[in-house]
Formats: sequence, structure tokens, C-alpha cells
Amino acid sequence: MKEQGLHKTELTLKQKLWQIQWFLVLLLFTAASVGFAMLYSAGGETAGTGSLNPWASRQMIRFGLGVVMMLTVAVLDIRLWLRHAYALYLATFVMLVVIELGGFVGTGAHRWINFGVVNIQPSELMKFTMVLALARYFHGGSIDDISRPLFLLPPLLLVAAPSALVLRQPDLGTTVMLIIAGGVIFFLAGVKLWKFGALALAALVSAPIAWHFLRDYQKNRVLTFLDPERDPLGAGYHIIQSKIALGSGGLFGKGFMLGSQSHLKFLPEKQTDFIFTMLSEEFGLMGGLGLLGLYSLILVYGFAISLRCRNQFGRLVGLGVTTTFFLYMFINIAMVIGLIPVVGAPLPLVSYGGTAMVSMLFGFGLLLGVYIHRDTQIGRRGSGEEL
Amino acid sequence: MSGDGQLKLQAPKSRQSPRQSRRIRLQGIRKQALETGRNRLLVTGVVFTLAFLVIAGRLVSIMTFEQSGEPHAVRSAPSRMNVAVRADIVDRNGVSLATSLPIASLYANPSEVSNKEEAADKLSRILPELKRSEVLAKLKSRGGFTWLRRNLSPKKQYEVNRLGIPGLAFKRGERRVYPQGEAAAHVLGFTDVDGQGISGLEKQFDEMLSSGETLRLSIDLRIQDMLRQELTETMDEFNAIGAAGVVLDVDTGEALAMVSLPDFDPNVPEKSRGGKRFNRVTKGVYEMGSTFKLFTVAMALDSGVATLNDGYDASKPLHIARFTISDFHSKNRWLSVPEILVYSSNVGAALMALDVGATVQQDYLGRLGLLSPALIELPEVGSPLTPSVWRKINTMTISYGHGIAVSPLQMAGATAALVNGGIRRPLSLLKHQGLEAPEGERVLSVATSEQMRGLMRLVVTDGTGKNADAEGYRVGGKTGTADKQAGGKYDDKALISSFIAAFPMNDPRYVVLAMLDEPKGTKETFNYATGGWVAAPMVGRVITRMGSLLGLMPQLAAVSAEAKDRRLETY
Repeated sequence: MKEQGLHKTELTLKQKLWQIQWFLVLLLFTAASVGFAMLYSAGGETAGTGSLNPWASRQMIRFGLGVVMMLTVAVLDIRLWLRHAYALYLATFVMLVVIELGGFVGTGAHRWINFGVVNIQPSELMKFTMVLALARYFHGGSIDDISRPLFLLPPLLLVAAPSALVLRQPDLGTTVMLIIAGGVIFFLAGVKLWKFGALALAALVSAPIAWHFLRDYQKNRVLTFLDPERDPLGAGYHIIQSKIALGSGGLFGKGFMLGSQSHLKFLPEKQTDFIFTMLSEEFGLMGGLGLLGLYSLILVYGFAISLRCRNQFGRLVGLGVTTTFFLYMFINIAMVIGLIPVVGAPLPLVSYGGTAMVSMLFGFGLLLGVYIHRDTQIGRRGSGEEL
Repeated sequence: MSGDGQLKLQAPKSRQSPRQSRRIRLQGIRKQALETGRNRLLVTGVVFTLAFLVIAGRLVSIMTFEQSGEPHAVRSAPSRMNVAVRADIVDRNGVSLATSLPIASLYANPSEVSNKEEAADKLSRILPELKRSEVLAKLKSRGGFTWLRRNLSPKKQYEVNRLGIPGLAFKRGERRVYPQGEAAAHVLGFTDVDGQGISGLEKQFDEMLSSGETLRLSIDLRIQDMLRQELTETMDEFNAIGAAGVVLDVDTGEALAMVSLPDFDPNVPEKSRGGKRFNRVTKGVYEMGSTFKLFTVAMALDSGVATLNDGYDASKPLHIARFTISDFHSKNRWLSVPEILVYSSNVGAALMALDVGATVQQDYLGRLGLLSPALIELPEVGSPLTPSVWRKINTMTISYGHGIAVSPLQMAGATAALVNGGIRRPLSLLKHQGLEAPEGERVLSVATSEQMRGLMRLVVTDGTGKNADAEGYRVGGKTGTADKQAGGKYDDKALISSFIAAFPMNDPRYVVLAMLDEPKGTKETFNYATGGWVAAPMVGRVITRMGSLLGLMPQLAAVSAEAKDRRLETY
């Protein structure tokens, strides 16, 4: 090894802990605390009251467990993750298939799998295990490998198979996220641009066919997105109520626990997908922009860590996690402010939801690990040896 | 995984195109890959930043520029899915004025309907408005949900249920129904399609009603209906543009009837536009004219400025500044205080008010509730119009009800205080629980109230209110006729004609007010459209009918004897 002493292949646990980006951890904690506050407010029965039950307390416990897991993931050798990337992917995929065969049905969609004590949502896990699998695949390929169409077929399958399963659940939001996150990794791995063009063209051609496969309510959502007033009491209700809440928030909001749209139960799913609306109603534009600022800081961290990483696997994992985080945030916020159709995606770290929270922290664990192991040399199949 | 296997095949030897090999520098393939990666990473970062800015920009625009805030929100669709059925509103005797009917909407889960042909047959037989072919098409559709028929009556729902077809289900809802139609439209108000009260008592007590608590009103539907009928006939007879009427219990402040015309059917509020929904009793404020002289006389007597034996010089019109105050029924002589009321002398009232003085006048008007919005459980309450600077001329014109505009309800409330022994009580549309009357505020002495009863009776027996004399009910009252102001000028063709009455005058129990907006005289009234000709007879009829409705015995013999006594006493 010709590297400086500090960055030799093996780090001690103490060194690794020292290398954790504690400020990023603090940012994550801050974002989650915003979530706790909003869930406390959402728990209140009437305006002016809040409650730890039923949401805030459980969310706090999950975050606590998630943070412990995140730090564990971070200090584990990154090559371990590379080696087991496919196995993890496969395990998640199997869970998705199990659900397709008959899982617990939440709000009209098969998304959950019951493990006795906890229900987990494999589609949330899939967002990160897919990133791992793709990163491992592209890590093993050289630049001219990537230029061969046949080489791209397996990773395409890695994206398409879970996407199709998730779409059948049906969960449009996760499908879109899987496809875009996969696409971004392809792009960053160096796939030629014209191939994206060809794929996009193929997608465009097949769009009418896909339309045929959409459920009626999904078609409705797309049409309603194009014209929310089409059905103000039905499918357009979410967006109209959401916009009213946003509009009534004004610059500084109505005050903590005083959002009338949310406390009077006009706002649907205020603790999950529409929590950003509630935040903006109670804390106004400043609150909304504040959270956006927090998110952008986390994203900057993600990019910086990826840019700094000297191995392909680490960089792709870092970017995959960052992209997924970005997509969560973008899809959720764009949805509640009416930029895109209501597809159903949680606000990362803030929305109530165990699997999403734990998966996201698992992702950030990987990101922190990427930084810790930024100078580790990784062989094609995860060994420490040189090329 | 297949990727892994392929990797093994590819790894040992990489094929290099000539072009690539030219570009590749000595650092090798991996370095090149990292380079491309870095560039593309920056591109991704830029794209993300742009997306971020779009979101932030949109957020700013929605939250600061789009005014879709609170007022809109209040009227928007609520979620009433799990809320109890909206409670009834009943009159003081328990007669239903507003109720909610459960309605059901029929839908089907086509995949669960086993025998679709048979189901379509049966459904189209029970619901003839459904075509068999259409029902069948819906049942054969691939979706998991299809509406078959909205808003079924309970009977039809029962019949459909009895068919026992699997896969059919009902979505429950409710509809607000007002069984009495227009009868108490302005009092009740109405709800929007989502069952939220948006006017009248429905709005005022929205929370209470939606939590299931029945509202019992002070309104007596029989009197309400009768008053509405009389007002409607009078309005038609004199071709008026509107009318208002109210009946108050003077001891409790309860409103037994409240009618504003033209009115609307709260069952179909969307069919009536703004004008009909306007509540003239509480929201409209009018210059009431001579009925105000009651208050002028009352405050003069109560403050000791004048006695019943004093007189004022009403022999000629009064000139003050650029105004002239003259009398409609001029006697061209000095008039005693009772005569000023009986002959409705503006000059006399104005001189009396000058004696009382502006400060005392304001004090009494304020305590009678004429200077602040009526206290009543309706969202539609108008604020009185009063002079911003209270000059001498204002004191004089207000003495006979000009230069001040109040709602008919304020007028009736203040009159109740004049005759009930001098106590002003809060007015209410809700039936009082228990027996004792609500706390009130003393505004006049008992003696003054006694005197006012006598004077009001005198107006009916000897003055401008003769047409209101319902035999046997000792009606007392005062006429009022005011020119309406239009564009800053008084129009002597457009009148507000009113009559305010109380009965029985020896121990008044009810105040009845009727007001007509722009009545036109007829041949029978010799083209007069004044309060004495238009409103007084109607109030007389209302009182007679009230008497029989409430079981109050007319006291024919006693009344004439007493009237004579009073005359001796007061003249």
C-alpha cells in the first residue's frame, strides 16, 4: 500500500467512530425532531393540543433504534456490504414476492409483510438494497464493459423486476423512485447518454400500454393532477385542502398545534404523506423553507462524501442513497404543493412510518460508512487486494 | 445472480475500441471511470439543485401569493365521515323545523356479484329509473367499484337490501331537510352540501348541532306561520318590496316569531339569490320614524324633564339651520305630552328632546340597546347607523326617528323594555329553560313604564293607531312612517311604514312589530301608505289571531271602562 498511514486499509473501531460525520448525524436528528414535533401536534384531538400518542412516541423509539443501527452499519467494513449486496437484494426481493402472494393489506394496497412483532414494508427496504446491488455490479465493470449493451441487461433487470412488483401492489411513488434512482446510478456509472435516450423513447412508446395497466384510481390521480378542480370532493380533495392549508399558513404560520386545516381533520394523512403541509400551515413559509434548507444541507453532505470517495462502489452507494433521499423529499413536497400527482411518498425522516425511517437511517449508515472508508481500496469482488 | 456470473466472464480481458484507447491517458481505465463519474456527479448535483429551486419557488408562490386562505377554507368540504347525524332544530313546542334524513347511495363491487344477469333484473325492477342494460354493463365492468344509484330513500334501500345480492353495498350520508319550507327561513338559515351550517342558526350553532344536540327555539311555529301569512298578504296588498315582523315575549326576551320577506326555501337555498336571503329583522337597519317618539317621551318623563301635564308649542314648523321640522298631522297649537304622541307631532318631540339634551338622550338610547347591534343568536346582525357627531339637529331629528337607523329587532327589544316595567333583557331565539326570566338591566322606572303603557294605549284608542285596536286585547302602540333615503335625499314616495304594538296594555306580555318596505297606497287606504294605514291594521289582525292561538281571552267589557279611566287620568 502506498497510501498515508491514516488511510491504511484497516481502521480500528475507535478510528472509525472518530471518522463519523457527527454534524451530519446532528442534521438528521434535527430533521427527525421536526417530525416529532409535528407528530406531537398531529396527535392532538383539537386545536391547541398535542399528544405523544399515537404517533410521536413510537416515532421517537424507532428513530432511536434506527440511529443505533445506522452507526453500526457505518462502522462495519464497507467491503462486507459489497460482498453481501446481492444477498440483501435477493432477500428483499423475496419479501416483495411474498407480499404479492398475500401480505397484509394496509390502505387498499398490499405493501406490508407481517413478521409477528413488526410489520415491515419491503418496498422501502428495496430502495436501498437495490442501490447496493447496482453499485456492486457497476463497481465490477470497467468503462468499456459499460459501453456494451449486453453488460447493461442484468442491472436493468435489477431495477425492472422490483419496479414491476411494486407497481402491482400498487405503489406508484416507490416505482417512480426505484426507476429514477436506478437511472441516476446508471448515469453516474458512465452509461452513454444515447442509451438513456433510447430507453426514454421506448418508455414513451409503451406509455399508452402502461396507461392501460394503471388502476382506475391511478388514472384518476393523473387526470386530477392535470386539473384538480375536476373532482374537488373526490380525488382532487387532497390537493385542494393541502393548498388551502399552505395558503393559510402565510409567512410565519398559525402557530404550533394551531393549524386549523390539520386539527379540524380537513387534511388527509396529515401524519404521513401530508405532514409537510401541516408543518407549513403551523410554521408558515419560514417553517417550510427552513426544513428545505435542512434537507439541502444533508444533500450537500451526501454529494460531498460521494465526491470525496475514491472507490467506485462507495461513490455509487453514496450517490444512490443521496438520490433516494432527494427523491423522497422531492416527490413528497412536489406532491403536496401540487407540482406532481398524488403518488404517495413519505417525507424522509419526518413522516410517521417505521420502515421508511429505519430504511432511511440504514441508507445514511451506508453513507457514513462510505466516508469512513473513502480511501479503502476495493477489489472487484470486495476483497482488499489491488487490481 | 446473473450479473455476478457475467462479471466473471468479462473481467479478465477488456476490449478497447481504438477511439477509447486514444482518449485514455496513462492512469488507466479506472481513473477514466472516476473522471466521468465526477463530471456526471456534478451534472446530477446541478439537476437536483434546479429541482430544489423549483420546489422552493413554488412553495413561496403558493404560500404568499395565492390567497386561498381561511375564508375559503371555512366553506370547503369537511370530512363528515364519522360524525354523528346533525341534530334537529325544533320550535318551542317541539315541532320539527330542521332535520337530517339519512340517505344511502348504492354501489357494487362487480367482482363479488355472482349472478350478474339476475342482479341486473332485480335491481332494474326495484329501481325503475335504472336501465337493465346499463346496470348489467356496470356489473360486468372490470373495476372494483361502481356507483349504481345515489340518494336512495330508506324504503328503496330496504328493498334493495332484501334482494340479498352479494357485492352490493351502501354508502351512507345525510341530507338536511326543512319540513316547514320558507316558514322560518331566515331564523334557521341553511347548510351547504356537506351539512355545514353557513347562515342563520345553522351557522351560529353549527358545532352543537353537528355534535348531535337538539336545538329548541323560542319560536312558536303557529305564530311564526300566522305572522308570515299576514305580512305576505299585506306586502302584496300594498305592493311593498319587503316586510319584516317580529313578536317578542316582553318578560323573557324570547322571540316567538321572526319573519323577513321576501324569503326563500332553505331546502333549495341555491335557487334564491342574495336579496331574498337578507334578514330585514336583524341585518337591515332603517330610519324607523315616529315610533322613536316613544323613547323620546319615555326619557323625558323618566329623567323628570317633563310630566304628562306639560306642553310644547307645536303651532308652527321649527326652523333650525337650513332644516325645517313640520308636522304631518298638524294641530297648529300647543300640545300636551300625551298629545304629542297621540297626534305624532315631530315639532313637539323635537322640542322635548332639546329639553332632555343630547347627553341624556344618548344615555337612554344606549341603555335601550338602540346604539349597538342587537344581541341575538344569529350571525346576520346589522350595526345601527348613528351620527358620528351628535349635534343639536341630530338630537332633534332622532327624537322622531330620523338620522338614526336601527334594526326592527332593536326597535322591538327597546319597546319591550318600555312596557315590561322598565327592564331591558337580552333577546333570544332559544327557549328559556326553567321559569324565571333572565337577568335584565333597569333602564326606566316602574312608574315611567306604567305611564308609557297608558300613552301607547291612548295612541290606539284616540290617535294614529286606531286601526290596530284588536277588540278585547287592550292593544297599545305607535305608528311610524319614514321617508327612505336614496342617494342622500329623502324620497317622500318611498316609505318605511311600521307599527309597534304591545298587549294587553294593563299587563303587557307581547310586543308585535310589523314593518313594510316601500308600500304603495291603495283606494281602500285613500292612497295613504303610512304606518297607521298599512301596518297598524295588520298588527291588529295578528294580535287577534295570536290571542286565539295562545288562548288569551278577550276582555271586552273591561277594556272600554279602563280606556275611559285612562283618558281621564292622562288628559
